[in-house]
Amino acid sequence: MREQLEELKKQALIDLEATQSIDALEEVRVRTLGKKGALTKILRGLGKVSAQERPQLGVLANQIKEAFNQALEAQRSRLKQSALASRLQAEQLDITLPGRERAVGSIHPVTRALDEITTLFTHMGFPPATGPEVESDWYNFEALNIPADHPAREMHDTFYLPPAFDGSKRVLRTHTSSVQVHFMENRKPPIRMIAPGKVFRCDSDVTHTPMFHQVEGILVDEGVHFGQLKGLLEVFLVRFFERELPVRFRPSFFPFTEPSAEADMGCLFCNGKGCRICKNTGWLEILGCGMIHPNVLDNVQIDTELYSGFAFGMGVERLAMLKYGINDLRTFFENDIRFLRQHATVGGE
Amino acid sequence: MKFTQQWLADHIEIDLAPQTIGEKLTMAGLELDGLTDLGAGLEKVEVGTLLEVTPHPDADRLTCCQVQVGAETLSIVCGATNHKQHDKVAVARIGAKLPNGLKIKKGKIRGQLSEGMLCSVAELGLAAEADGILILPPESPSGTAVADLVGRKGVVFELDLTPNRGDCLGVRGIARELGALTHTELKPLTPSVAQTDDTLAQIVVEDGQGCPRYSGRIIRGVTIGPSPAWLRQRLESVGLRSINNVVDITNFILLDLNHPLHAFDLDQLSLPIVVRRAKEGERLTTLDEVERTLTTEMTLIADQSRPLALAGIMGGVESGVTERTTDIFLEAAYFNPIRTARTGRQLAIQSDSRHRYERGVDPMGLALAMDYATQLILQTAGGKAGPVNMVDSGTWQPAAAISFRHERVNQLGGIQLSQAQMEEMLSRLGCQKTAQGTFQPPSHRHDLIREEDLLEEVVRLYGYDRVPSSLPRIAVDLPPLNPEASLARKATRLMTGLGYFETINYAFVSQGVQDQFDPGVQTTALLNPISEDQAIMRSTLIGGLMESARRNLSRGNRILKLFEVGRVFRPGENHSLLEEERIAALLSGELVSKNWHEPERLVDFFDLKGVLVALVAGLADEPLRFEEGGPSFLHPGRKALVFLGRNQTAIGWIGALHPTIQESLDSAQPLFLFELESRYLQEAMGRKSAKKGQQTLSRFPSVDRDFAFLVADSVAAQPFLDCIFSVDRQLIRQVTLFDVYTGEHVKDSEKSLALKVTLQADDRTLTEAETQQLTEQIILRVKEQFGAVQR
Repeated sequence: MREQLEELKKQALIDLEATQSIDALEEVRVRTLGKKGALTKILRGLGKVSAQERPQLGVLANQIKEAFNQALEAQRSRLKQSALASRLQAEQLDITLPGRERAVGSIHPVTRALDEITTLFTHMGFPPATGPEVESDWYNFEALNIPADHPAREMHDTFYLPPAFDGSKRVLRTHTSSVQVHFMENRKPPIRMIAPGKVFRCDSDVTHTPMFHQVEGILVDEGVHFGQLKGLLEVFLVRFFERELPVRFRPSFFPFTEPSAEADMGCLFCNGKGCRICKNTGWLEILGCGMIHPNVLDNVQIDTELYSGFAFGMGVERLAMLKYGINDLRTFFENDIRFLRQHATVGGE
Repeated sequence: MKFTQQWLADHIEIDLAPQTIGEKLTMAGLELDGLTDLGAGLEKVEVGTLLEVTPHPDADRLTCCQVQVGAETLSIVCGATNHKQHDKVAVARIGAKLPNGLKIKKGKIRGQLSEGMLCSVAELGLAAEADGILILPPESPSGTAVADLVGRKGVVFELDLTPNRGDCLGVRGIARELGALTHTELKPLTPSVAQTDDTLAQIVVEDGQGCPRYSGRIIRGVTIGPSPAWLRQRLESVGLRSINNVVDITNFILLDLNHPLHAFDLDQLSLPIVVRRAKEGERLTTLDEVERTLTTEMTLIADQSRPLALAGIMGGVESGVTERTTDIFLEAAYFNPIRTARTGRQLAIQSDSRHRYERGVDPMGLALAMDYATQLILQTAGGKAGPVNMVDSGTWQPAAAISFRHERVNQLGGIQLSQAQMEEMLSRLGCQKTAQGTFQPPSHRHDLIREEDLLEEVVRLYGYDRVPSSLPRIAVDLPPLNPEASLARKATRLMTGLGYFETINYAFVSQGVQDQFDPGVQTTALLNPISEDQAIMRSTLIGGLMESARRNLSRGNRILKLFEVGRVFRPGENHSLLEEERIAALLSGELVSKNWHEPERLVDFFDLKGVLVALVAGLADEPLRFEEGGPSFLHPGRKALVFLGRNQTAIGWIGALHPTIQESLDSAQPLFLFELESRYLQEAMGRKSAKKGQQTLSRFPSVDRDFAFLVADSVAAQPFLDCIFSVDRQLIRQVTLFDVYTGEHVKDSEKSLALKVTLQADDRTLTEAETQQLTEQIILRVKEQFGAVQR
């Protein structure tokens, strides 16, 4: 019997080692240690051996069991390893195949520029305000010191709507400057705000669309002066364009500011050397500004002896074109999805 | 405003390069818009002498010319017929680039060598049209530059003037400004006219408001003829056509002194001249040969028998100077700017005269303009000048002197100048200090009215660039909330996150688009639209989105996920126009494009519905409800009204575009749309942020139970799901519909709904018994309400 047991052990270990799968391994185990297995079969003859020999054989049988189990676990682990290895091998992907497409949308470049401008001014303490797009003659013109028959009205190609119930004129606002009147009307200085929004002019060609966007800004307080207007706009332009370009201010005319100025910035494209985009001047016209005309402050009951203010206004499409390198104004409102995707950005700030 | 360097030199001696002059003017507020070389394109055009003209051997219409240009002799083939041997001609040499862009190259024309081109006035840019080549005067020296010969010398400045600087609409005004900028005196201009005729120009001014000052002079015995070369060249250099000597002189004075003049043919007048209001319906045919119907608001120059001219705007066609004119009545006047502007606008007449009068010419400049013009007329057209009759209605008074506080100017301007410095600047501009210490602006500066105007003059002369920059001191405070802007921002971010592209569409659409996408709404039309396509204020965003979709489809962009956040305009009470913000989206094309992972799939109604639900969930914390209904341009079986929370009115709609409209777009693929009114979302957003506390998150396990029910085909999903929730609103956390099945094993009139119900309690683990009880209740409830049978 001892020989039988030794033989069993030897054979079982060989069988184990030969297994190629967990199933085969299990089969060897059942065949060897199972209820109807070889070991059981051998031990059935245990009754026939002497009582003296019996315990020794029992010990031996246990040793064999233990050795077998150890070998079994070792083999199982080997098989698992190799199964894992071949599975990993089999699961190898061509990682250069395209991923499943996921579409990201985009905000319109005008909105993006509006957001950037609004964010910069909000940080500087100028909160955004809104106003109506359909305006009365008062808010769009009269209150801003642009009387009827003034040649300055010709600077604005105005869209007219049928008159209001009381017969008063209605226009599509020609500038966001109208918002400053609404905003100042019910407030006392210090007053700060910017007004981003749509404006409308009856003009359509390569460089004009009948609708575009502006951002107006005002500050009214004690001791506000022209040097501060310059300083604020210089900071804004450097931050917006992320470039240290020179900014120059030159006299201009707006009925609602006095003195009035036009701010130019060194050309982004030629660094001031002169190119097609800056018409060889080295300068790009960027925005208009000035000290708020006393007539405007009078119209909203602000004491011009105590307070002074400045106002500025800029065309958003122009800024967007310069900053994002868009060269045709009309593409803004065609909404070609390729254009929108090209200028895709989700966040802003 | 255009002028040449040479012309400027008539009035001021200034030793600066044109570029520098332009820079100085720009930085003083007279913006240089262009600087062009008058001789541009004529650099290689020289005088040539035709030595020999012979017919081209192989072409009937061409000639072969031997042309002597300076010391050289060139062979040139020419197509003109008006030239002959010994003529002096303008030769464009090889390498010339003519004003019309034509480049001259050496070449062969029908086999004959041609080393240049004989030019016409049109090719030289001297006239719009030409008949044959230019034949120059015989004395023109061969080899000299043609540009010099025709007065194309120096540069032309073009200024873009702002409306406040009407005083700079004449060359002398610009010289005056430059003088102030560079501390240079103007050259004196003192025309002298000997009075050699006694005829008085009789004048009656009845409309003193419309015509504060009017002067006239009769000049007898003039000879109307071509202008001398200098005058012609002056006018042509700034783009004006020469007409005749007298008319050219009035135009010259307009450009030089910024004072419009008018010359009448005395023979056509029955004096006195009467300056009066027009009668209602009175007619006058102006120089542009348009018959105008006038109103009593318009100031008219008339005589005893008829209207002659529209004051300050345009003369009449019948009383103007012609070749037969011998005696003239020369007018120099100051007309009311506002009256001139109104009349000009009402009659839609743009003229150089109107442009100047409405910006204000110098009321004190009549005498100089009259005398200078007379002197030039006598010089070029001869004749005898009568006395000037000047009528002052007394309605124009010099502007009040302006008080001026030097500290205030320093304070507002952010500068530090002394009183003396400022006064010196103002005097350079022609302001006179009064005994009271105020400042009297010169009569040509209508824009100087109050202290701020003088402040601008001081800062302008000092130089805007020299004002030190600083930053305003800003108090810390909280900005007012702006819910409209905040909703627009959030919605935009949500939609872009959901894969949609923001569009911005015009606020106006065509009547057709309006009728299609918002029929029955009373529309508001622009009174002066740019085109029919942009004539109606939009009352829905859909028209614009559809237009963007149409454009994209026509360009082959087939996958469309578009949205817009913007205002629409709707009629309110009393013809008011309400501005409402809306959010609209459009979806079309493939949701999944052909790819190696999975089959392609077109979008459907539920793709857009899912986006709408996600958008609203991002903004509001209230349940959405969809009910049948929606606008008529949608597919009748695929549209819904959208309700939010407790709102009794729909906040918008969603649906598929009606197939017939889709076909009219030539679109093979269906389009899906929704539009929501922002204000409801804005209100819900406010309620959401006002809500306190936090939802408890259960720590106990949840249990899922799957069901499949057979129901009648007509049973709608939403009430069915609502019914299941109603069994226990505490414990039923979620009901997910995961299959809607019709077909085999299900009767034609029925469908099978498969759904998963998630059960969970906040305070305990649900027992098997509880779960079982809920399951049974669910089965019972849907059986009662919908006749649903569990499969």
